[in-house]
Amino acid sequence: CHTSGMLTPNGKEYVQKIPREELTHLILKLLQAWKEPLSHFNQHIEHHQELPDDSLSKAKQISNMVHELKTGVEKVTEKMQSMGIISNSLNGMASSEGTSLSMSNEANMMSDSDFIHCFRRDSNKVQSYLKILKCRIMPENSC
Amino acid sequence: MKQRFISSAQIILQLALTTVSLTGQSYPGKPQIIRCRSLEKETFSCWWKPGSDGGLPNNYTLFYSKDSEEKVYECPDYLTSGPNSCYFDKNHTNPWTTYIITVMATNEIGSNSSDPQHVDVTSIVQPDAPVNLSLETNTSANMSYLWAKWSPPPLADASTNSHVYHYELRLKPEEKEEWETVSVGMQTHYEVTSPQAGAKYVVQVRCILDLGEWSEWSLERHIQIPKERLPPEKPTIIKCRSPEKETFTCWWKPAPDGGLSTSHTLLYSKEGEEKVYECPDYKTAGPNSCYFDKKHTSFWTIYNITVRASNEMGSNVSDPHYVDVTYIVQPDPPVNISLELKKSIKRKPYLVLTWSPPPLADVRSGWLTLEYELRLKPEEGEEWETIFVGQQTQCKMFSLNPGKRYIVQIHCKPDHHGLWSEWSPEMYIEIPTDFRVKDMVVWIIVGVLSSLVCLIMSWIMILKGYRMMAFILPPVPGPKIKGIDTHLLETGKSEELLSALGCHGFPPTSDCEELLIEYLEVEDSEDQQLMPSHDTPSKNTKIILKETDSDSGRGSCDSPSLLPVKSRESRALPSTLQTRDVRAKEKKGGKGSWETQCTASEQKTLPCNSESAKSCTWLAAQLPSSQPAMFAYHSTVEAFKITLNTTNVSSSPVLVGNEENQQSLYPIAETVYDDIEKKSEMENSKADQTTVQVRQNQRNDKPPFLNPKLMDYVEVHKVRQDEEPTLLLKHKESSGKTKKCTVPGTSKEYTKVSTVVDHHILVLLPDQRTQHPPVSQESVAETSQNPQQSQAEKNTSYSTTTPSNSRRDTSGSDYMDPSSFMPSFK
Repeated sequence: CHTSGMLTPNGKEYVQKIPREELTHLILKLLQAWKEPLSHFNQHIEHHQELPDDSLSKAKQISNMVHELKTGVEKVTEKMQSMGIISNSLNGMASSEGTSLSMSNEANMMSDSDFIHCFRRDSNKVQSYLKILKCRIMPENSC
Repeated sequence: MKQRFISSAQIILQLALTTVSLTGQSYPGKPQIIRCRSLEKETFSCWWKPGSDGGLPNNYTLFYSKDSEEKVYECPDYLTSGPNSCYFDKNHTNPWTTYIITVMATNEIGSNSSDPQHVDVTSIVQPDAPVNLSLETNTSANMSYLWAKWSPPPLADASTNSHVYHYELRLKPEEKEEWETVSVGMQTHYEVTSPQAGAKYVVQVRCILDLGEWSEWSLERHIQIPKERLPPEKPTIIKCRSPEKETFTCWWKPAPDGGLSTSHTLLYSKEGEEKVYECPDYKTAGPNSCYFDKKHTSFWTIYNITVRASNEMGSNVSDPHYVDVTYIVQPDPPVNISLELKKSIKRKPYLVLTWSPPPLADVRSGWLTLEYELRLKPEEGEEWETIFVGQQTQCKMFSLNPGKRYIVQIHCKPDHHGLWSEWSPEMYIEIPTDFRVKDMVVWIIVGVLSSLVCLIMSWIMILKGYRMMAFILPPVPGPKIKGIDTHLLETGKSEELLSALGCHGFPPTSDCEELLIEYLEVEDSEDQQLMPSHDTPSKNTKIILKETDSDSGRGSCDSPSLLPVKSRESRALPSTLQTRDVRAKEKKGGKGSWETQCTASEQKTLPCNSESAKSCTWLAAQLPSSQPAMFAYHSTVEAFKITLNTTNVSSSPVLVGNEENQQSLYPIAETVYDDIEKKSEMENSKADQTTVQVRQNQRNDKPPFLNPKLMDYVEVHKVRQDEEPTLLLKHKESSGKTKKCTVPGTSKEYTKVSTVVDHHILVLLPDQRTQHPPVSQESVAETSQNPQQSQAEKNTSYSTTTPSNSRRDTSGSDYMDPSSFMPSFK
């Protein structure tokens, strides 16, 4: 996976240990890193005639969701920074790093199965990080 | 000589027998040669079996002879071969001759010898079995061998060992049934080429000489062939699971054991790394497992796991198993399942089920998020109903039936890729049914009440059945001619007719006659006014009598003739004016039976009962006490129930004669009248046609009274001319007395009843004639007839439905024709 180079915590303790800013940074970076490959993938599979239609729509839907999620996380991050929950030392770097990743060669050279596999993993990562982050920042809601 | 010999023999026999009989001993039984055998063709032995010994010690001797000779030899050696045997050594054995051998048993008494046995040495050769059988196995280079070794059978004479034996070997695995026989030849060893590895074998050998028989099989020998020594087979990895997304465990299935001890090792490597690690913990999770603790667990990396089995001969590696821990999470079942019964507003209870996530799962930090699912079924049911609950740890169940038992189970799963946990242990739910009892009580009350209501209804139905029926289905009135009974008319019996028409009670009874007489008498004496004419009394009486006699239709008591009488006596009868007594009972429908009590002056009540057919009641007008002139004729012409057949003739209204002049009477009369009026009104309510409003005396009206006249038969009082003209009874003053109606002007004489309306209203026709002073004579004359005629006419008039106005019968005197009011009514 093109995001394999990222240094991400691989266990619960590690995730809980790293500072929130970093966690947020990682999340944003990951989300950004997938933006381009997703659109590339969508273009790619549109030409595949044998895929059923709902796969295509599903893929588009997923891309949109990722984009929205990224936007949302950005907003939340801004809010948190404004509220002082997290510092804004890493502000803005996520997107650039992510973009660089997404443009990398590996991103473009992935096969379809690798793509799906890597995306599945990274989305799981993002989900877990977000959940941990949520419970760290707002522990009262169902945590 | 012979004889002597014989006799001596006999004696000896007898002696012997006696001896036997005395002592129980006898000569021995016959021995039997069992067998003879030669081991090596140079010697042989014979064995015999003794017979019965006869109670005494026996001696056995063996005799033999060769077939070519006759000489009998005795056994050379009794000992070598054992008891009851004979051993022929080399010197005595000649293989080419046949021996004839017998054994004789001797004891004190006698002897006995066996059957001779022909023995050919060559044919009885049988060696002993080989001995010293030994076995060995050898395994080399994955091949196993089985060696067998033995020795020839031993001989007594070891020197001569030039015998050549042929051997045979047989073997089989222990558990099998069939032997595998191998001819070995003259060797005393043998090698089994490829025995079964790991099997246990049984081996035996036997031998044979060049002639003769095979020896017995030697003793068995057992040997275990060692198993094959192979490297182990491939183990397989069964599964890897993580219960809480922090650690995980892998299980494998060990390789089949080749008899050698096998050990397993688990090796893994992570994605992107080359280094191979060994399982950190073989023990925690049990045999054939490997437990990865937190430190060794990494997420979002793929593990490459293999298991190696190794033994002395080698090792074998399983197929690699790739696993990412994120996707193998299978939590434990939820715990702390508790039930709570709550009652909602509508008093229907519902169940709240709560539980906790499994203890290991870290839900609080958000690392692992679980989703829950519930399933429940009635205890006796078969199918589970599955409810997905989501991430909440409670569930409200509304759809349970009270009184039933349910089984409920919960399980959970991570919210992302993962596996469902096991179902929690079964939980039993039972909903109490208390509130059902209330429902039952309500239903019981409802049932009781409704049954009561039904009972009451049915009771009512029974009691008032007829009325109800009539109410619901009013009887259809048949065509009815008033006053005439068609039947009777047809039959033509006038008497019956008249009787039908008339009132039963009316024909004067003896009582009435007496009364009449009495009345008459009284009248004569005192009242003059009343008495229209003194000379009439007799007539009257006569008339009356006549009338009464003939007048069947008239109420006897109330016959007009009576009335004056009564009236005369009315003085004495103030109280007797018992119009009140007049009770008009009217019954609608059915039989209108009138029961009026005619109160005689003497308070005699003359009940006039009429059947349904007719009732005519004549209310006796109570004569005013003071004023004789006034006849209070409260005669009520009842509607003759002309409608003979119809039972629904309602009683006619009481036409109460107005009594004038008598104030005293009035009130009473009025009251009566009022009552009657009411009643008549009631009855008249339906009348549309000329209903005679028999309204006698309305208040204080003074109906023209016909007092002065001796009304012979004044049935009907004059009807007044009011708004509602009333019917006035008028006596037809038959006699010349102008018993006219003293009613000024207004009075008319109604001589005839024109109609009966509504069965109870008498419509009278005014008698033109009587406007004028009646011809008393005529009237008188007619009176006699009149009663009948009147009755008849009455009847006719009654029967005529249409009021015939100007119809005037001859007997109009009897009938008053209310012509005055006719128009109005018309």
